[in-house]
Amino acid sequence: MKATLLSAFLLIAATGNALAGSHVYGPFPADYVEECGSCHVAFPPQLLTAPGWQRVMEQLDKHYGADASLEDKRRTAIADFLRRSASTRDKHAPTEASARLSRTAWFAREHGPTPPAKVSFAECTACHTAADRGDYSERSIKLPAGWRRAR
Amino acid sequence: MSIRILAALAIATAGAVVSSTAAAISPAELQTSLAAEARQADPAFREFSAQRGETFYRAKHGGDWSCSTCHTDNPAMPGNHAVTNKAVKPLAPAANPDRFTNPEKVAKWFKRNCNDVLKRACTAQEKGDLVAWLLTVKP
Repeated sequence: MKATLLSAFLLIAATGNALAGSHVYGPFPADYVEECGSCHVAFPPQLLTAPGWQRVMEQLDKHYGADASLEDKRRTAIADFLRRSASTRDKHAPTEASARLSRTAWFAREHGPTPPAKVSFAECTACHTAADRGDYSERSIKLPAGWRRAR
Repeated sequence: MSIRILAALAIATAGAVVSSTAAAISPAELQTSLAAEARQADPAFREFSAQRGETFYRAKHGGDWSCSTCHTDNPAMPGNHAVTNKAVKPLAPAANPDRFTNPEKVAKWFKRNCNDVLKRACTAQEKGDLVAWLLTVKP
């Protein structure tokens, strides 16, 4: 029993899952951070389901208005990591063809329908000031003056 | 074969794998290979032009973005990604010596960014002109 619990814990730690409620993710593999953290922070893989990540990785050449294509070997390795670390919960399922992480039911509930002025939902660090370290905890949030989450 | 020799071979092989992906080049070496590519595409090719490179850098090529949209009017300065606002390190080698030293990164970013700005691949001539100009930019 103890051994089972211990190995379950180690498995959670190894896949980079945030412990329940901590809102801190990672660390992530270096190639994931390098390839998926150049134009935006490396998003926590736990915030989208495996079918969602698959959709994202299948259209990297048309990645939300930019070409983010990767050579096959790296793409396969990263797709594999995302599939292994993905969420299995419905609230993290994609809701449209491009599978934007910012359009899941969970994201909409947490953030409302529109980001603050002049900020894109892809710019996590605009409010989550430690997002580049995988830290989305309440204490690191700094909202723009006057902004309220719409419902 | 002794275990010691086997171990030495294993280390040598592992080292070769690492160095083949990490082989650093200089921007000058990059220019040499781009020049060979340009000559192959057009036997009349003579040399790269920094002036043409600057014009290319600042042009929108019929779309919404130019190179300067993210890399700023002065490529020796840091920029910001046009969509996500994420910081972009300076592009000019004089301000950021890592630029144009990793052939895999060079290929990856020219492919992506040429598609974003020009909606097509860049020619070797265009890449060489651009690098020729960037090498003249001082911080």
